[in-house]
Amino acid sequence: MKTKKFFFLLAILSTILLSTSRVEAQKKDISSQVTLANEFYHEKNYQAAAEIFENLVDQGETNGFLYYNLGNTYMRLGNTGSAILNYLRAQLLLPRNENLDANLRYAINQTQDQLSPSRGGLIPSLLFWVNSISLIEHFEILILFNIIFWCSCIGSLYYRKPPWKSLKKISMAILLLAFFSTGIKYYLLSKHKIGVIMDKKVNVKSDRNTQNVTLFELHEGAIIAVNQKDNQWAHISVSADKSGWIPIESIDY
Amino acid sequence: MISTLLIFIFTPITSFSSNIQLSASIDKNQLTIEDSINLSIKISGVRNPPTPKLPPLPDFVVRSTGKQSSTQIFNSDMQVSTTHKYLLIPRSEGNFIIGSVTMNLSGSIYRSDPITVTVKKPSPIKSNENRPVYTETSISKTTPYINEQVVYTFKLFRKTEVRNLELSMPYDESFFQKEDIGKAKRYSRVINGIAYDIDEISIALFPTKVGRSTIPPAIMELDLIYRTQRNLQRDPFARFFNDPFFGGAAKSKHKILSTEPIELRTQPLPKKEKPTDFKNLVGQFSMTATIGKENLDAGDTTTLTVTVSGIGNVMDVSLMKLNLDKKFKVYPDQPTFKQSVHGNQIGGEKIFKFALVPFSTGRQTIPSIVLDYFNPDTKKYNTISTNPINLTVKPGTSTENLNLVQSKTAPTQKNGSTVSILARDILPIHTRVEDFENIVFDKNQRITYIIGILVPIVIYILAAGYIRYNHKMKEDMSYSRRQVAHRKAMKKLDQLSVSNPEPKDFVRELSQIIREYIGDKLNLQGTAFTSKEVGEKLNKNTFADDKIFAIKKLLEKIESLQYMPVVADKDHCLIDETAELLLNLEK
Repeated sequence: MKTKKFFFLLAILSTILLSTSRVEAQKKDISSQVTLANEFYHEKNYQAAAEIFENLVDQGETNGFLYYNLGNTYMRLGNTGSAILNYLRAQLLLPRNENLDANLRYAINQTQDQLSPSRGGLIPSLLFWVNSISLIEHFEILILFNIIFWCSCIGSLYYRKPPWKSLKKISMAILLLAFFSTGIKYYLLSKHKIGVIMDKKVNVKSDRNTQNVTLFELHEGAIIAVNQKDNQWAHISVSADKSGWIPIESIDY
Repeated sequence: MISTLLIFIFTPITSFSSNIQLSASIDKNQLTIEDSINLSIKISGVRNPPTPKLPPLPDFVVRSTGKQSSTQIFNSDMQVSTTHKYLLIPRSEGNFIIGSVTMNLSGSIYRSDPITVTVKKPSPIKSNENRPVYTETSISKTTPYINEQVVYTFKLFRKTEVRNLELSMPYDESFFQKEDIGKAKRYSRVINGIAYDIDEISIALFPTKVGRSTIPPAIMELDLIYRTQRNLQRDPFARFFNDPFFGGAAKSKHKILSTEPIELRTQPLPKKEKPTDFKNLVGQFSMTATIGKENLDAGDTTTLTVTVSGIGNVMDVSLMKLNLDKKFKVYPDQPTFKQSVHGNQIGGEKIFKFALVPFSTGRQTIPSIVLDYFNPDTKKYNTISTNPINLTVKPGTSTENLNLVQSKTAPTQKNGSTVSILARDILPIHTRVEDFENIVFDKNQRITYIIGILVPIVIYILAAGYIRYNHKMKEDMSYSRRQVAHRKAMKKLDQLSVSNPEPKDFVRELSQIIREYIGDKLNLQGTAFTSKEVGEKLNKNTFADDKIFAIKKLLEKIESLQYMPVVADKDHCLIDETAELLLNLEK
């Protein structure tokens, strides 16, 4: 019986150790690939650098700096649309990175339409910090204030003193605000899709057919809001009074 | 007297309206263009009157010089008056009428009589020598070349005290560029045996257009101060009050002095022998060039300093482009200009700095830098140049890091430096490999966050239950006794089972444990109650009948054992029975 238990524990331990070492090995592999891609970039072999960065993204790597470097690489390759798309992806994960902001502004300035990403409307304007904090950071803040609130509840119950009650009220207010802010951020990310025009020039049509009236033209790198997808067409808008349909292959988001 | 004062204090403003008078008077009605008129407007018969309205006076410059109020009482008769004073400075000669001054007081209009004034030319005086104050203007050259410095000087000669000086030296800005030459100078000079104090102000004018031009008259306004001497022998206080501090012995007279206009004829620069690179530099100049380091490594920077100094329009100096593009990367700095006064002329030095980065190693030469200017004294074009400078560039190890900025071509007369961006580029890639950790927001992450939200709530619920229980245990004695009753009884039973008391003591102790348990359970004080009383109490507290019956039976059994003459040894069955019964009561 004891031998059985021993082997069982040994099996669990070896599984944990193996999975940990696999994760470590994977990390090392990613690091070496990033280093290699960065070296290619410095040697001006942008095509090779882009391939490595793209491979990492295809493998499921999600990292703001990875998207940022990929954006830079595409800028060097003259592919402004892909560069802006990757900068926008990076911005979701690194909302306060100054270098990223500068490069995104620079890339937008290189485009013909020079359209900046929309900030999301009235509520994000009121909750001004929403765009400066990523979703993951929102959740971390929410959890932190959740812990603080419930701790203050326990303290208030145990000590039954006015300062603890005040702390409880304040932390509850902040927790509600954090909760609301996280909800808004989640809603914006899931509903408010931002896309980038990838073709050199796209005619925005009044309906889902090339025979329809061309309302306006957009060019590579133009940042648009993707409102709806319908088969091979996407309904996009660049402002309240400028919207229309474009072929879905012309955009990426 | 007191009654008069009281009347004065409590009299309303318009109480003298029946006797209100408005009059205007001047100190003279015949004057020269250099003089001014003191206009006094007196309003009597009213206290604190409104300010009177002056008529339009386009031929005069009007200045207010103050307001005086007076109150006089003669034998209960009070006279109040307010006098507004103005200084009228004539703009031109001729006969003028100062119209009626009007005042609106509570709807009534009061008017003064018009006054006629004659303004004449000043009487021609052959020389200025006998006048207490006079002015002169002069110019260093009436036929200057374009861009040549012309010194325009204004002098005020005075042999009496003057105050409140105000000078206007107008010039045609479309014809001249003006530069100030330092502060005013003051000195004394004896002219025909009379000592004059002289104030001298000069400005430098640089003609910017060829042709005839006129410098308009300079106008100086001042107050002449005349001091009257009292009879010091008769008046013992005269010496004291004659002091200028008290001002009692001084009289002032406002004067406007103007000079004659000056005609100039600006000549063009001669075309003959005009150098091709000439850039309107007129004056006398010199130029030097120095280098920061004569021996430097490849990639190092050295500074070439070119200084142009002299008299004339130094601020306009600009150098030709340095012919160093094949040998050096040149970063020009913004030139600096420092003005200075040389005698009665302005000049200065302009410093040009260039940061040089050599392209190649070996011996390099910075060729002469050439500058052309026109000398108006010799009426010839001159060329000055710097000496060639030799540099030795050694091969270096570090690579050159060229800047993306260069100095701005700023206005030539301004100091300080600014940089302009030559090119813009994206910022570099991120190279810290540790920052490339995968950040995912997958199902596991979401579960972690949900746990992070729920766990504190669960902990709170558990903690709240525990805290509430603790509080109740502390605050509610009956609850506390009830909660610990069974544990306490069981503990005592355990102790009793391991101890070895006398049979009688054992029975008594057992009885005591049961009574204590019931006391704790029912929050009763003491343990002196019979089995019957226990039954009643338990019944009240809704204990089941069988339990009540069992406890009563056990207590009766113990009591009977307690009072038996001979008691058997410790009966473990009795302890077990008690323990079982207590457990049963807890259910």
